[in-house]
Amino acid sequence: MKKLFPRLLYLLRWSRQAADLREEIETHRALRQDALERDGLGAEDAAHASRRAIGSIPLAIEDSREVWAIRALDHTRQDVRDAVRGLRKSPGFALVIVATLALGIGANTALFSIFNSLIMRPLPVRDPGSLALLRDGSWSYPVWQEINARADDLFDGAVSWSDQTFDLTQGGRTVPVDGAYVSGRFFDVLGVPAFRGRMLTAADDSGAPPKGPVAVVSHRVWRQLFGSADDIVGRQLTVLIQRQRFPFTVVGVMPPDFSGVAVGRVADVVLPFAAEPLLEGRDSALPKTGRSWLEIMIRLKPGQTIDHANARLRRVQSQIRDAVLPGLRGSPAFAARYLTDPLTLAPAATGASRLRREFGSPLFAMVVAVGLVLLVACANLASLLLARALARREELSVRLALGGTRWRLARLLFLESFLVAMIGAALGLVFAKWGSALLVRQLGTWERTVSLDLALDWRVLAFTATLACLCAISAGVAPMFAVKSVAPGEALKSAGRAMAGDRRFAVRGALVVAQIAVSFVLVIAAGLFLRTFASLSQLPLGFVPEPLVVVDVNLFASGIPPEERGARVERLRDAAAAVSGVRSVSVSQMRLLTGGGWATNNRVAVGDGPMLPEDRRYRVWRNATTPGWFDTMGIRLRGGRDFTERDRIGGPPVAIVNEAFVRRYLSGEQPIGQRLRVDSDDGPRFEIVGVAADAVYTTPRDGMLPTMYVPLAQREPQEWNSWRNVILTMKAVPGQRARVERDVAMALTQADPTLVFRSGTFDQMLVATMTRERLVAMMSGFFGALALLLAGLGLYGMVVQAVTARRTEIGLRMALGAEPTRIVRLVFRRLGALIVIGLALGLAGSWWAARFVAPLLFQVQARDPMTFSGTAAVLIAVGLIAAWVPARRAASLDPATVLREG
Amino acid sequence: MGLTNTPSDLLPGTLELLILKTLVGGARHGYGIVEHLRLTSEDVLRVGESALYPALQRLLFNGWVKAEWGTSENNRRARYYTLTAAGRKQLAAERAEFNRMIGAIQRVLGTT
Repeated sequence: MKKLFPRLLYLLRWSRQAADLREEIETHRALRQDALERDGLGAEDAAHASRRAIGSIPLAIEDSREVWAIRALDHTRQDVRDAVRGLRKSPGFALVIVATLALGIGANTALFSIFNSLIMRPLPVRDPGSLALLRDGSWSYPVWQEINARADDLFDGAVSWSDQTFDLTQGGRTVPVDGAYVSGRFFDVLGVPAFRGRMLTAADDSGAPPKGPVAVVSHRVWRQLFGSADDIVGRQLTVLIQRQRFPFTVVGVMPPDFSGVAVGRVADVVLPFAAEPLLEGRDSALPKTGRSWLEIMIRLKPGQTIDHANARLRRVQSQIRDAVLPGLRGSPAFAARYLTDPLTLAPAATGASRLRREFGSPLFAMVVAVGLVLLVACANLASLLLARALARREELSVRLALGGTRWRLARLLFLESFLVAMIGAALGLVFAKWGSALLVRQLGTWERTVSLDLALDWRVLAFTATLACLCAISAGVAPMFAVKSVAPGEALKSAGRAMAGDRRFAVRGALVVAQIAVSFVLVIAAGLFLRTFASLSQLPLGFVPEPLVVVDVNLFASGIPPEERGARVERLRDAAAAVSGVRSVSVSQMRLLTGGGWATNNRVAVGDGPMLPEDRRYRVWRNATTPGWFDTMGIRLRGGRDFTERDRIGGPPVAIVNEAFVRRYLSGEQPIGQRLRVDSDDGPRFEIVGVAADAVYTTPRDGMLPTMYVPLAQREPQEWNSWRNVILTMKAVPGQRARVERDVAMALTQADPTLVFRSGTFDQMLVATMTRERLVAMMSGFFGALALLLAGLGLYGMVVQAVTARRTEIGLRMALGAEPTRIVRLVFRRLGALIVIGLALGLAGSWWAARFVAPLLFQVQARDPMTFSGTAAVLIAVGLIAAWVPARRAASLDPATVLREG
Repeated sequence: MGLTNTPSDLLPGTLELLILKTLVGGARHGYGIVEHLRLTSEDVLRVGESALYPALQRLLFNGWVKAEWGTSENNRRARYYTLTAAGRKQLAAERAEFNRMIGAIQRVLGTT
């Protein structure tokens, strides 16, 4: 095989080489003709004689080609032809294998491509390996300013950003888009070049940008909102905030592969931090030391290690702290703790992603699970191919007898499995493309759009190719055992007279054991995740969601001045109340089950007591409601009264708290009549007029949290200014929710044609809080079932074959008087052993692997005895069913027929 | 007219050896090689094209000779073969091997 390359090169240009040779030989002949003429022959005779002497030119050329040709290559081509022919002879078999592999490889590739883009792929920026993220969580703008001032000295620059949602207005329509505020040198430090125009600069992020506020848009926005306009630079982009329109000048378009540093979230519109005070006015977060809302990333100097960078950063930490501390209002206790934990940088070549934190480990678990499913599928394939090779013993032995080498036979069989693996992989890629997009859509909820770049990069392709090769090898090696036991002369003897016990079945037995063990692990995982999902779904909500319809009204979108918004909400409420089938309508400021909301971090003072220090661990959630909200929601009042129409601005500020609140802040005291201050000492003193039963505020997983309610009518008019949304909650007559939802939407549109709103039910919102668990439960359930099915099929196939091979023996035994039950027992005895070994291995594996899934579980033990025993029972049942059918058939054989045939 | 000698009339590899030796004198085209062999062997070795060209291809493949297109004395395009350094080394080795073979054959023939 030496000099393969020159050979191939030569052979590829064979037609030219042949022409050259022909010309060369013709010159040769002409020279000879000249010589003959010189010897005195006539021109005619000389030409004739020279031609005769030359002999066969094609032969000379063919011989020359032989010099370069590669025999092995020719053989391989021939084998491929044989393999294709062999597969086409049994299309059903080929189809089953290709489909199994396409599904297996496809599912693996789909998950891996998500895994890859979410977790593995480096950011498309210059030298992503030198990026490091300041951990953990978010930072305030003053802190960023201090770090930025030192960034070029300590590191090779730093960037900061904050994910935002902006409302763009486009021809009267309001489109919410995901975007970000970034530091001026964001693109510069990251090394992201402009696709069109220019990226932001430090000047854009200074107090007063020379040519007014500017923005950079993503490639996608440029395509979709601006129709890929060539004159994009200089165009206006209108951002709507608090009903005011702020024009931004587009200065550039980001490259197509870059959409921010937060993986899974696209930053479609990027504004400099300097734009934030412009949009937020006096609510600007820039000067606030206490607001942590941005993330910071640095670039290491060439050769700088992360430890070195950490050491340098910590050396200046006290300076940073001293610089920002004066801006920190609040308790001295909080100030004392502020920024005292050592600042820590962590490598961030792949960016930062909330999505990754949420889905990283479940995704990894699913990648492992789907890999195991493929393993089970491969075992099935190996089994099938082995069976097929055994069935082809006659053909193989004829080939051997005719002089084929065993190596050549093995190669032929291997090539068959290789071929199907490759076809399977190719189809799998198509399937993966579709499947991964489908899965990514599942990651999103009705309020969060997830976009991942699922391009098939080299990692994914390498992964798929490796999988396909592993499948081909693992499935292709098994038939070689068959080749080993084929004897050249066997075709001449009559085959198929096997009696008891055959070494050939040992391989299949081992495969079946492996399948049972792996399926066991997968079914356990499915059981655990399903139970997790079930226990999450069964958590008490504290309110009655079934009759409720929720409408989320965007107050900003249609441009009504803040002072009129209260009246407008009243109008909408009346419109909704007039719909038939609506029992009651209430308005609240916050929607439940968003995972977050309006809260204060433990800043509560009871009576004349001290204001408690800020503490994120003890949040008090807040909401503002209209009278009747508790009744609509189905939350019971444990004491006191609900808000009334008299609780308006001007009246004494009142509040209702829930039982969890009473437990944390008012233990042992009579809550009604107590006075509360929240957030600051100079705010209103709320009188507690009622105690409500606990209800879930963030997510069911978080449980019942201290909550404080105030009347919506007591919110100051200027506060309407900063609320984007209000929530209308309707209680529908039982069984009419769907109709009510539709009719309310119509009534609202009629009452206010410009209204922007979104309606839904608590079921949908509940689903959104459990996206992760639902997805994991769904997928592991699917994989578990698939593995079970495959293992069952494998088992069945093996038993059928074993019974067929022992037909003669069984017939003989029956002829000698064995009862049918004894025959069944005969079949089962061996099988029982396989199942028991498989279960034992699976049990050990699951026991060991349990600790890895423990963090993903909720209210279920990782070694939950019920799941373990249930899984064992399921697998035994599957095994028995898979064996029972062929065993029954064996027992009903007619001995006479068998013996006559055999 | 016994113009051609089939390769089987020679010991295997001998033709290549002879071609390499011929090329020591400088670049030649196929016909030149044949003529050289015929003349120096006093009309004993008459090499046919169907043997010559595959042999040349073998030498090319092994990198022992290289070929360049030139113009022949009758003004046609002809491929001229030159010995490479590797070819020179190969010539020495094959020559020694050939001598060993001939010696062995003669010893066999010498015994009665």
